[in-house]
Amino acid sequence: MILHGDLDAFYAGVAQRDDASLRGKPLVVAGASRRAVVLTASYEARPFGILSAMPLYQAKSRCPELVVVPPDFAKYRQASQALFAILHEHASAVEGLSLDEAFCELGDATVAEALDAGRKIKDAVKEAVALSISIGIASGKMVAKIASDDAKPDGLRAVAPGTEAEYLKDKPIRRLWGIGPKTEERVRAKGLERIGQIAELSDDVLYELFGRWGAELRDLARGIDHRGVNDSEAVRSISSEETFEHDVAGIAGLLPFVRSQADQLAERLKQRMLRASTVAVKIKLSDRTIIGRQTSLAQPTDDPRIINAAARFCLRRAALHRPVRLIGVRVASLAPAGARQIALFS
Amino acid sequence: MKFQCDAKAIAGAVTAASKVVNAHTTVPILNNVLVSAQGDRVSVRATDLELTLENAVGAEIQEEGSCTVPARLFTQYLANLPVAAKLQMQGTSTRATLKCERSNYEFYTLPADEYPPLPEGQKGVHFRVDAKEFRDASSAVTFAASGEEARGAVLMGTLLELDGSDLTMVATDGYRLARRHVALAEPVTSPSKLIVPARGLGEVVRVPSDGVMEATVIGGQANQLVFQAGDVRISARLVDGQYPNYQQVIPKEFDKKVIASTAQLLASLRRAGVVAGDRASMVKLAMDGSSLVITASSDTAGNAYEELDVERSGDPLTIAFNAKFLVEILNHIESETVALEFVGALNPAAIHPAGNGASDRQLYILMPLRQ
Repeated sequence: MILHGDLDAFYAGVAQRDDASLRGKPLVVAGASRRAVVLTASYEARPFGILSAMPLYQAKSRCPELVVVPPDFAKYRQASQALFAILHEHASAVEGLSLDEAFCELGDATVAEALDAGRKIKDAVKEAVALSISIGIASGKMVAKIASDDAKPDGLRAVAPGTEAEYLKDKPIRRLWGIGPKTEERVRAKGLERIGQIAELSDDVLYELFGRWGAELRDLARGIDHRGVNDSEAVRSISSEETFEHDVAGIAGLLPFVRSQADQLAERLKQRMLRASTVAVKIKLSDRTIIGRQTSLAQPTDDPRIINAAARFCLRRAALHRPVRLIGVRVASLAPAGARQIALFS
Repeated sequence: MKFQCDAKAIAGAVTAASKVVNAHTTVPILNNVLVSAQGDRVSVRATDLELTLENAVGAEIQEEGSCTVPARLFTQYLANLPVAAKLQMQGTSTRATLKCERSNYEFYTLPADEYPPLPEGQKGVHFRVDAKEFRDASSAVTFAASGEEARGAVLMGTLLELDGSDLTMVATDGYRLARRHVALAEPVTSPSKLIVPARGLGEVVRVPSDGVMEATVIGGQANQLVFQAGDVRISARLVDGQYPNYQQVIPKEFDKKVIASTAQLLASLRRAGVVAGDRASMVKLAMDGSSLVITASSDTAGNAYEELDVERSGDPLTIAFNAKFLVEILNHIESETVALEFVGALNPAAIHPAGNGASDRQLYILMPLRQ
């Protein structure tokens, strides 16, 4: 069984945890600049239609009493380390997706045993970092992740083996892995709206709609997903991306995302005992053109500050002329963490 | 413009200047070299606006003037002329005609008056230095500069500190530092600090001229340092910014010292580095008694062990370094013996030619690896 865990409204949750006066209030975590965007919205802010990456002024106009809290990356890192330590205690392998999200391999556990592990993880996380986590359990990664999304906030949900297709059947196709907004539009135009409809497509129609990738997509729609949890496989690069609900104009609004992605990547490098000598950014503009920039480092690193600085450098060099739809940071040229070069200037 | 000159000589000048031409430039005229005939010399100039190279050769001038010729075309044409041939060149704002023996070519040109002018501005700091000394010092120092664009142009440059009759050149990438002093041909009137990009000094190192090199800062908007030696002129845009306070990272005192044969140490480190390859290139130096033991190991390659007889003073010490950094530094030490000085396993180490006062002239500081 595979378990997917994801902290609830992570950044906002940390703020509400540390300041009782913020609990129960609509709140967002965002930078201080004039063009700041929402990094995370609390559950209280979501009914107002406030989403990640929305410009802050827009979020405020939707909810005048909105509380804005600056990010505190040191706290996020601390909570993330505690979370991963707990996950490692309960799983034979852990694959981190970001600071607050991971897949865990539970081996041959039964549904009851997996649910028990899930409850223990939830309790341990509450105890260690006083945050709530939502957990999904299934035979495959995708269904586990969909189940944890469904369980949010503070939920626990297992999909028994054999019932995956039934579980997915009525969900919108957008929730299938690999269906982006563009594909969704195209597929919906053919009258396909539910995952169950994809599961029943014939080979010919699949090929026409999705090309060679069609058969794999139908398997996913049927809940067949054999991808395992990779924690130690030889990785060549690690990346973290974010697609915005609202395009972000200008570099200033992108920097908090780059910063948080650099933190995530540094964390994942440390978990895998790796260091990177190349840092790259990927930018998708509002017209869907993709720009990539990369830079080499003299010393392999797992330091979030160095990754952040290098990514910012790449971003500045990209000379953006349109609003940005997606920003991603990638680290590559990975080598096992060895002795660390001491710097001359501290 | 009309002149006749030795084909091989102008081929050398065009090739030397063309190096700076950036094939990806979006400004068409920057693909060209500017050829100017004046007095008894023809000069060839190329620029990418950051760095400008100009070489001159002797010629018989029939009509003074200038024209611009596409660098790539011109270099390839000249490279294929017969040896010892004479070249006759005539140029206007639209055409350049080149005659050599029985061949006759016409290249399309761009108007010379559209070529970027030489940097202008108030002349600032000026210094004179022996050209060979300056070349040697540049190559002994610039390799230590950073190649990491993300850390900024300052660390990618070399610091030139002028004070009285002394020029101090410093380069560092944040992990190692190189410093060398050069005596100026005459004292400067006031102290100053300049940061010269590595590319600029890289060109200076290739200037064959002996004798004295002149260097002048053209201030203001231009902010360039212009080197002139013989028939070569190089001008590089200076880097704006604050150079790190390098003096504070050079320890005042060391209490452990090893003197070794430069050649033996270098050979041992190169061999050990082969094994160290995949592990941050780490070599360990263990000093005890009158020996220096170098070890390296890797999970995939195996183990290395090297033992050298050395002169030694101070307590025993084991310290780890990146083998590549050590080798690069030793490659620039020309004396037969080299001195390595230490404080502790996590403190900066000094490496310099052995001998009294040698560290004052040429000094390297290297940070160890934390194991």
